[in-house]
Amino acid sequence: MESSVELSSSLPPPRSRIFKIIVIGDSGVGKTCLTYRFCAGKFPDKTEATIGVDFREKVIEIDGEKIKVQLWDTAGQERFRKSMVQHYYRNVHAIVFVYDITNAVSFQSLPAWIEECRQHSLGQDVPRILVGNKCDLRGAARVSTDVAQKFADSHSMPLFETSAKSPGDNDHVEAIFMTVAHKLKSQKPLALSQPPSGDGTVPLKKPTEDRGGYSCSC
Amino acid sequence: MDMRKSRSESGASPLDGGSGRHHDWDSKRRRKMAEISQALSVTPVDVATLRRMAISEGGLLSDEIRRKVWPKLLNVQMDNLPEKPGEELRVNNKDYNQVLLDVRRSLRRFPPGMPDEQREGLQEELIDIILHVLQRNPQLHYYQGYHDIVVTFLLVVGERLATILVEKLSTHHLRDFMDPTMDNTKHILNYLMPIIDRVNPEVHDFMQQAEVGTIFALSWLITWFGHVLSDFRHVVRLYDFFLACHPLMPIYFAAVIVLYREEEVLECECDMASVHHLLSQIPQDLPYELLISRAGDLFVQFPPSELAREAAAQQEERTAASTFKDFELASTQQRPDTVLRRRRKEQVVAGREPGAVPKVAAGVVAVVRPRARRFVRLAVMGLTVALGAAALAVVNTALEWAPKLDLQLFP
Repeated sequence: MESSVELSSSLPPPRSRIFKIIVIGDSGVGKTCLTYRFCAGKFPDKTEATIGVDFREKVIEIDGEKIKVQLWDTAGQERFRKSMVQHYYRNVHAIVFVYDITNAVSFQSLPAWIEECRQHSLGQDVPRILVGNKCDLRGAARVSTDVAQKFADSHSMPLFETSAKSPGDNDHVEAIFMTVAHKLKSQKPLALSQPPSGDGTVPLKKPTEDRGGYSCSC
Repeated sequence: MDMRKSRSESGASPLDGGSGRHHDWDSKRRRKMAEISQALSVTPVDVATLRRMAISEGGLLSDEIRRKVWPKLLNVQMDNLPEKPGEELRVNNKDYNQVLLDVRRSLRRFPPGMPDEQREGLQEELIDIILHVLQRNPQLHYYQGYHDIVVTFLLVVGERLATILVEKLSTHHLRDFMDPTMDNTKHILNYLMPIIDRVNPEVHDFMQQAEVGTIFALSWLITWFGHVLSDFRHVVRLYDFFLACHPLMPIYFAAVIVLYREEEVLECECDMASVHHLLSQIPQDLPYELLISRAGDLFVQFPPSELAREAAAQQEERTAASTFKDFELASTQQRPDTVLRRRRKEQVVAGREPGAVPKVAAGVVAVVRPRARRFVRLAVMGLTVALGAAALAVVNTALEWAPKLDLQLFP
């Protein structure tokens, strides 16, 4: 790495807190639509394959504090995550796993995604949620809520089923990400500091007792 | 297939100048078309001239010309066009689902206003081309973004010709992207920062400090900008350029875009998210002709062989560029850039003004040893003027830049 001492001499004043959330899951489950829906407030009319990593953000307010929520929307194809996406796992505060309720394979891939996060030293300390998308296609569902809930429980994650598309769920998508943001805000600031390094051996520093548990408001 | 005609055949000047300039461009354009016809009519076809035409201002001018010249640039014979593939192509193909998914949602790649029925027909053809090439080349692996490249060929040359052009391209220019993993693609991205460093160390250091990485340029590289530019005319203009050049030229072009936006970059908040966000949103009104010429200049000044060590150092693996060695488009042109290989980094640092955009002349002065090489410098500049700087980038073979070439060129 190049040294850049001269650039770091004048640090900017403290800014609003930033929550960095990575959104992962198989190709075509709707990661782009979900993140777009949250950040732009509407369903995008045309989305294409995400190549590499896209970035979206939204400023929210919780208890009078302005917080920047950064969503990193990742490519679903396996080859991208193997060598490309890992840069973006660094310093992540929360993880959103997405599957498509009409696509059983996308649900069966979840253990691999979870393992992927584990390998990037994102363990149980980092809040994780599971989102089953495309609920507007309930008739074509291939993954039952029961099965998904069991899976979520076994990995200590809250489950949300939603639709990025259906207008009725407008607030729902928002609520999901807000839940994550509340959870992050309630953590001690220490929990939002960076992991020591990316060598995969040093675990995240555990903040003091995690109070309040995980409140799933939906 | 009329839609193909009207897409990118605007007669407007690429410089968007006033009417006087427009008139100039009209006559230039006519001259260029004549030159291209001439190069096509001789036996064997004058590929070197076609290459120069594809690089120089305006590129290949129209899709009609592209249909004739692109196959020559790829050294493809047109007498053996593939048959329309059968249904079996879609059965038991490991990539079929991913291809289907990506093509079905690639609506933006088709001209606005195209009837749905026509677009859907083209999408089916697109799927067929991709699967056909993959089936015939089991060593190639589909990646998301490949469809963005193939659709450009489909729209310009039609299904049958696109199939053979894309096959050739896939086993050459795109070869590294289609490995089982993206390690080689990552390696190619590692050329980006060293190029930026040579031209503007301030921008380089800023980006390093922000830890922005290079993924913002991933889609640029592996789709040849087809994924990120909304105006199809710009896409095909770039394809003219890239088809005529070394497979690494897209990464030089990526560097040129970053450097063109140096002020915006330096004004950006110095963190990964802000810089990634800024750079990944490519402005749609870029001055393409200018940037193409700059990319050509940079390629000549800092050829891949120069940057290879630094690029390799960015990750401890050595890979990629060597796979280009078998590229068949060996050009017989001389390579004035080989004389630039020996410049030392200190000299560059001493010779460049911080924040300045590179001009080829200044760059050449900076990179050549002051005394012993002065005669060389004049020779290079002479060629630069004669060919247009970007045309030097025609040195598209990735064959090693053997020292003996220095002797051949300047005995």
